[in-house]
Amino acid sequence: MPDSFRNPADQDLDGHLAATPVLDEETPFASVQSLFDEAAEKLGVAEDAYHVLRKPDREISCAVPVQLDNGRLGVFDGWRVQHNMGMGPFMGPMRLDPNLKLDDLRALAAWMTWKCAVLNIPFGGAAGGIKINTKRRSQTEVERAVRRYTANLLDVLGPDSDILAPDVASDENVMAWVMDTVSLHERHTAGAAVTGKPVALGGSAGMRDGTARGLRAILNLALERLRIGSLDHRPVVVIQGAGHVGGNLARLLHGAGFTVAGISDVNVALYDPEGLPIPEILEHRAKSGTLVDCKVECARMTNEELLAVECDVLVPCAIANAINSSNAVDVRAKLIVEGAHGPVSARADRILDERGLPVVPDILANAGGVVTNYFEWVQNRQGLNWVPDLVSRRRRRFMTEAWNAVLAFREQYDVRLRMAAHMLAVKRVSEADALRGIYA
Amino acid sequence: MSQGTAAAGAGSTDAQSQQDEFNPFQAMADRFDRAADLLGLEEGVREVIRAPDREVIVSFPVLMDDGKVKVFKGYRVQHSFLRGPAKGGIRFAPDVHLDEVRALAAWMTWKCSVVNVPFGGGKGGVVCDPRKMSRGELERMTRRYTAAIMDVLGPERDVPAPDMNTNEQTMAWIMDTYSMHARRSTTAVVTGKPLSLGGSRGRTEATGRGVMISCREALKTLGMRPENTAAVVQGAGNVGGIGAQLLHREGYKVVSISDISGAIYNERGLDIPDVLSYIKQNRTLEGYTEADHLPHAEQLELECDLLAPCATENQITSRNVDKIRAKLIVEGANGPTTSAADDILEERGTLVVPDILSNAGGVTVSYFEWVQDRMGYFWTEDIVNTRLEQSMVAAFNDVDKVRKKYDVSMRIASYILAMDRVASVYRLRGLFG
Repeated sequence: MPDSFRNPADQDLDGHLAATPVLDEETPFASVQSLFDEAAEKLGVAEDAYHVLRKPDREISCAVPVQLDNGRLGVFDGWRVQHNMGMGPFMGPMRLDPNLKLDDLRALAAWMTWKCAVLNIPFGGAAGGIKINTKRRSQTEVERAVRRYTANLLDVLGPDSDILAPDVASDENVMAWVMDTVSLHERHTAGAAVTGKPVALGGSAGMRDGTARGLRAILNLALERLRIGSLDHRPVVVIQGAGHVGGNLARLLHGAGFTVAGISDVNVALYDPEGLPIPEILEHRAKSGTLVDCKVECARMTNEELLAVECDVLVPCAIANAINSSNAVDVRAKLIVEGAHGPVSARADRILDERGLPVVPDILANAGGVVTNYFEWVQNRQGLNWVPDLVSRRRRRFMTEAWNAVLAFREQYDVRLRMAAHMLAVKRVSEADALRGIYA
Repeated sequence: MSQGTAAAGAGSTDAQSQQDEFNPFQAMADRFDRAADLLGLEEGVREVIRAPDREVIVSFPVLMDDGKVKVFKGYRVQHSFLRGPAKGGIRFAPDVHLDEVRALAAWMTWKCSVVNVPFGGGKGGVVCDPRKMSRGELERMTRRYTAAIMDVLGPERDVPAPDMNTNEQTMAWIMDTYSMHARRSTTAVVTGKPLSLGGSRGRTEATGRGVMISCREALKTLGMRPENTAAVVQGAGNVGGIGAQLLHREGYKVVSISDISGAIYNERGLDIPDVLSYIKQNRTLEGYTEADHLPHAEQLELECDLLAPCATENQITSRNVDKIRAKLIVEGANGPTTSAADDILEERGTLVVPDILSNAGGVTVSYFEWVQDRMGYFWTEDIVNTRLEQSMVAAFNDVDKVRKKYDVSMRIASYILAMDRVASVYRLRGLFG
């Protein structure tokens, strides 16, 4: 093949970006499926329903041709996986990632189905994206790719069909392009086709720290209902990550009187068992973009060391598989609340379960973001924006109801929290599927 | 338990007049005319709001379990679109016929208008015997019927609901079929769905709750108090059972309740939660020991302040109206009082809260379900109940004002109010084309 015949889009693949470190060997799809299998078996889901639930309803691959700034045409790969529509329209992330794989999207779509079901949100799960390196592409190239991808999928997108949300490398600007493209093709404003939009285009109040606020609600419920910590000291929390999940959570907990003893970014972890001055630290990070040269007086350590300090609650909010089979035995927290996606690997999960250390799973704990996305969709349909206070109150109600339902399953079936959450989700989706039946 | 049909008339003229009396749609037509006269509706408007806007008759094939194809006949009548999309039940029964569906559709127009929900009236049905069909056959029939009337259905066109022999599951099939054809999730196309598919909290209890609210508002106009009110409830199902339970909770002395097997009576008041749990366990009132048992006919004639017929049509007729001793009748069923009995009750000064007002709690919460589906956000049961309360109280007061203004019965006042609302929307919208 002559060099000139090379697809310019392939440049994005040269020199893979550091992928999420997968220390345990299971792929995300395999993990999701094995959790589903276990939940379905414990629930006694009928075999026919089991096969329906296990397979995505629809997978779409599309070529995304883009006029590049150098005049050439780059053809990128795009996908959208729609997992299950029993509970309502599909909803899920759109990611822009040079390492995007169909298998990961399948996992993410299934995971979204279960997450929405745990929260009792009327959506099925979906996931999609474009295999593109936004760091190597100009903004105009990215915009053209996003618009063309949207146009390719128009037949299956829409407020009652499939709703997109931001994810890796896709922010509120990307969502605005998607919304604009759908609206222009449909010839009417279709705000509810996309969530995570800028506030000026119908975005919801409370989107920025939605996940963190949901986490805080779950953390409080877990401390209370699982009777962790004691009355004579304020709960000691260690947070891995200082971004919009970890950072916001630290700020909220610090404000509520918790002792935030540890926080980290990708470079360093700060630790003080008596409690860190969180506002100062976050201010520094906002200015410099890192915790490295933060002047606060405290101990410095690696992320690995931070995960092993003694505390009441450990909240991993950074990367997948942060707690894995090699370090799970070292964790000295009394409770783990998952802020990130899959921060505890499947193997580590079993180890922690054997140790009797409760883990509040991601599909429950970090669902505050998805709940806020759902609220945005509702507000767009109503044409009415809720005040921030109303968003917070309603989010708390959804998180509390989900927590109560998961806890009831845990007690009824005598399983770990993660399994209880998956069983609850599988039960809700399989019931909705059964009521609707199989048509045509 | 219809004493009406059991008592056959002697002569043919008698039989004819009785047939007329027991035809609830004839009764509605009589009331329509009387209300139209009182309103002074001009002939053209009267015709416009009386005639059904659209009647769809479909024949459609269904593959039966024995491998044969059977063709079913189905109807959907949309009586009025003036106040909004059509709204009304779908029934499956061997004796469904167009006349009945047409009358029930008109009935829905007036009911929706009285409680001021933005719908016109509709009704549909399929001629079939659901007791003799398998679940698979019922599902295939429901889906094919839905596909056949698909063009006239939709959240903005016509929103069906459960009726005789149809239920949550039927609604789920309709919602799924419509959604698959429309290629998007369309929960708002039907109401009465299961909670997990966009149903509303508080819907099952809504009609009974509406009956309780109507009782309370009526007591206020009579200057009576719940704790001094002896109530007789006919029926112990979704309407009568829930209604009795709520009346009991509000402090009424519920002295009698009935089910298909007969009635029970206790002068000092029944322990309603106990009675209902007995029925739940034994599926009948028969054998309940904490009360006297008596036949249906005698129940209606008991000494009481409030009578709530919540079972079936034609219970209070020219034959037994003289023996009815209640001061207040609140209709939970559709058409429990015949037109002839109505006139006598009116002369006697018995207050009758009519079906299109007092049992409209069901359609009101159906409307709430549609609203919730359109926004995709679901209210707590408290909010549903609070809003139902507001709607019912407002409707009751609206009717009461009309009653005083025209010096008529609550029933005629309800028709006047409903028809006036439809007629004034007609005048605002004008004629298109």
